[in-house]
Amino acid sequence: MHPFIHFGSLSLPGYGLSITFGAVLANVIAALMIRKRGEDWLDLILLEAYGLGGAFLGAKLLFLLVNIQKIDWSRIFEKEYFSGVMRGGFVFYGGLILAIIAVFAAAHFHKIDAMRYFREYTFLLPFAHAFGRIGCFMAGCCYGVPYDGRFAVTFPEDSFAPSGISLFPSQPAESVCLFIISAIILILQLTVSFRYSLELYVFLYGICRFFLERFRGDTDRGLYFGLSTSQWIAVLMVTASVIFYLYDRKKISSEEKEQDCVCPSL
Amino acid sequence: MGVASLVLGIIALVFGLIPVVDWIGIILSIPGIILGAIGKKKGMSCATAGLVISIIALVLSSILYIACIACASAAGAFN
Repeated sequence: MHPFIHFGSLSLPGYGLSITFGAVLANVIAALMIRKRGEDWLDLILLEAYGLGGAFLGAKLLFLLVNIQKIDWSRIFEKEYFSGVMRGGFVFYGGLILAIIAVFAAAHFHKIDAMRYFREYTFLLPFAHAFGRIGCFMAGCCYGVPYDGRFAVTFPEDSFAPSGISLFPSQPAESVCLFIISAIILILQLTVSFRYSLELYVFLYGICRFFLERFRGDTDRGLYFGLSTSQWIAVLMVTASVIFYLYDRKKISSEEKEQDCVCPSL
Repeated sequence: MGVASLVLGIIALVFGLIPVVDWIGIILSIPGIILGAIGKKKGMSCATAGLVISIIALVLSSILYIACIACASAAGAFN
């Protein structure tokens, strides 16, 4: 809706501003929680920095790898062309994979319990992600299919979405889902000592994404056995979260049994 | 380590504010934050300043740099 936000003579891209605002706000909340608990906030900063570095590198490398044929390598030393390659295009899953590897490598190297941070601050991931989707709405990307019902949106001419057509509000819908997921995880963590926040986030987001994908109209989403790539990934996410949950439950119950067996002999 | 963080942070801040090369700001600010955090843990001088400036550089360059993947592909990355 607003690809650029104007502050006097200064124009800032709405997407960058929105996602950065979400990330900064999530970090402020995390910092306040860490301070209240008397933990070391530098550990979280370190993990985040490594994760960001990994995400940037992984997303860019996979993008270059996927598009290796399309890049004009004879022009790569031209300043403007190189900047264009560096500024445009990322592959999300490349970033995700290398970010996870980087975070766990950093945790091992600096002796930080990464899983504890993942579990305690997972609710901030969908929280920040929701702001990213608001950014998509501002830029007009990731738009929905043509739709005339309630809450339908029509984008102006300067956005990436087709202008003048009534569309499904896919970005605000996903944003609302992400805020709800964040709230559910936070409530569970505050009310009961919930240890499956990461699994629950992956499970709930997978389900939301699976259904919302049907209402996306931004790109030609190829179908494989009736499902799009993102839907297959959502299925994998849900399956993985259930497997991790069941594995952890089994591990805990076997540990409890072992303790029960040991106690009478003491 | 603290001085290295401060230097990286300042260079990242400068690059981060120049539209065409703002991505260099992101690349330099990340090691700046890592060195700043490690330096602060070890109580080194300049580490806090380096950490703060690197975080500011990362935030500012991110605002200018981050473009939606869909938008980037729509605009054509190699043109």
